[in-house]
Amino acid sequence: MGGSGKGDVIVDTNELRFIEGHARLQVRMAGGDTVAEFQNLEGPRFLTKYLVGKPIEMAPMVASRICGLCYTAHSINAAEAIERALGIEVSKEVRELRNVLYLANNLRSHVMHLLYLTLPSIKGVISVLRLRDKDLYEAGTRLLTKSTELIEVWGGRSVHVPNVVVGGFGAVMNGRQLVSSVHELEGLMNDARKFADYAIELDLPELERYRPLGSLRNPGHYPTYAEDASMVLNDGSLLTSDEYYDSITEVTKYYSTSKHAYFRNSELTVGALSRVILNRRHLKPEAKSFAERVEWRMNPFLIIKAQAVEVVHYMEELIAAGQRLGDIMVEPSKEGAASGVNCSASQGEIPDCQGTGRGFFVAEAPRGALCHACEVENGKIKSYKVYTPTAVNSKSIELDAAEFVKKFRPLGVEKMRYILEDMTRAYDPCLSCAVSLDIY
Amino acid sequence: MRLAFYALTSCEGCLTTLITNLGPNVEVLWKMFDIDYFKLVREPVGGTRIPKADIAFVEGAVVTDRDRRTLTEIRKNSSFVVALGTCASSGNIAYTASRDVDFEAKHLRDLEISPAEPLSSLVAVDFELSGCPVSAEEFTEALLRLINSIEPIQPDFSVCYECKSKGNPCLLDAKKVCLGPLAMGGCGAACPTVGSACYSCRGPAMEADLKAYLLTLEKKGIGKEKALMMLRMFTGKKAKELLKDGR
Repeated sequence: MGGSGKGDVIVDTNELRFIEGHARLQVRMAGGDTVAEFQNLEGPRFLTKYLVGKPIEMAPMVASRICGLCYTAHSINAAEAIERALGIEVSKEVRELRNVLYLANNLRSHVMHLLYLTLPSIKGVISVLRLRDKDLYEAGTRLLTKSTELIEVWGGRSVHVPNVVVGGFGAVMNGRQLVSSVHELEGLMNDARKFADYAIELDLPELERYRPLGSLRNPGHYPTYAEDASMVLNDGSLLTSDEYYDSITEVTKYYSTSKHAYFRNSELTVGALSRVILNRRHLKPEAKSFAERVEWRMNPFLIIKAQAVEVVHYMEELIAAGQRLGDIMVEPSKEGAASGVNCSASQGEIPDCQGTGRGFFVAEAPRGALCHACEVENGKIKSYKVYTPTAVNSKSIELDAAEFVKKFRPLGVEKMRYILEDMTRAYDPCLSCAVSLDIY
Repeated sequence: MRLAFYALTSCEGCLTTLITNLGPNVEVLWKMFDIDYFKLVREPVGGTRIPKADIAFVEGAVVTDRDRRTLTEIRKNSSFVVALGTCASSGNIAYTASRDVDFEAKHLRDLEISPAEPLSSLVAVDFELSGCPVSAEEFTEALLRLINSIEPIQPDFSVCYECKSKGNPCLLDAKKVCLGPLAMGGCGAACPTVGSACYSCRGPAMEADLKAYLLTLEKKGIGKEKALMMLRMFTGKKAKELLKDGR
């Protein structure tokens, strides 16, 4: 990659192993200062650019392709952003089912990250398949298979779900059909407990650094997907989702294929750790008791434990949702059924829509607050923006890396390299997601 | 037998699909084969070097110079190269979306980014497993054939075939644009089954007849502009070929 930076490289991770996408972390001395560069090496796919000029109904389908792990979050956020732009109201039932899909998606993503990507390196094995604790691998695999199956039943396919459309759902969703698949989750609660227990007992490096944390707040609930949520920071301040969106600036980095997203011109850490620190009183009972076993500090390694707590929480939420689902029946969005100011949706198609407006939506995707924003003009997408949690966290990753090298340089390059790699991985970065804020 | 799994520029949804949808069978694969490269599953043998493999499965489109170098190495070191998914086989959305980007812009040049291409634009590809994402069943079938020295096959039917056998009402009859007649099947008609149009994410069917399709649209009183736009979306470079033949 061209445009190499100035200064002597102290630590270079080379291509990071066990992460989603391709990235590299370099820490160098520049002008007497230790600076880190979190380099996205993933090529852009120009997905948001593609959406410009396209009919609005295509947004959820194209946005889904941003990520192979949190596609459901992207397609739901896209549908919501478009609906908001056009003033399309969806029913309470649609929201309830979107929430369930969101939970299943976050559960799947967390289990995948913890089991396949995080544990091997921390336990010093080459693969999760070489883990000494066979039961753990089997428990994790069962959770992964089940959460994938839930997404398939509700979304119409296990990856890149076609059933999430503007206006609601493409096909009739009968709550009763879904109850049985949720009931089966109860049988996997022990697997979730085992999994969380294992992660919470892990011995992880201490790397505390004060920084602003951000998480959505959904009054009375632990935040995931909500109709209207505000952003809470660790200084106690509360921002509406508009204010949060307006606080973000895009910063181009000469060393990265994606822009970084700065919050108030600086860093913000979003994700599981921020959610747990800022909202843990709203965790479901078992998840809360797991959370009580950890001393929560601003140490990125604790994201691993926060994700483990959330695995239990998502299971409990899904099981609780299952008890409500029995009475739900969501018709496919019909013409007129989801009537808005300008347009009406019919199974995701919005015929002859001449609507104009701006819309955006924020929800807690697996890796943190995910924001989709769009402008619609005469029924066509005029602009589309995706602020992913990885783009927001990039600055924190860099500051953590620089701080770590400053403090622990005597450890030597080899040791620092491994710890830096584990630290970056703990953030659960997704470079395929981040590159949707591309630099063309 | 040595297998290797790579991802170039992509969402890594195909590799993830294999892991989550094979479930406990990932372990069976692990025991049956020497898997020397699979970034999401194991620490690569030989670090960043591309190892020798009997079969290499490659997800993603070629966008960066890094992708080019990696793919060239993969081809050199692998006896059989399978394009895994639509990005690898046709360039996917990125192919069309990157045609009108100014790649002479300084930062794109500095970062060595070029218009997206499928694998076959650069190297010889031995087999293509299409789909956005791929199907774990088709992957398994192709692998079983390959290890038994039988040529793997692609579905020789269109999405309509599967859609009809599921008894779904035809979207074209409802005057909605649907690419089912042109699209390669094997997905179980996932999208039309939930009432959404087929966008041909698996590329053109073997029997795809664009002229006949456009005639059908005309007969049903559906405009062709949207259909052509949809066809260029996933089908990428293959749409270009199809459109050339169809006119």
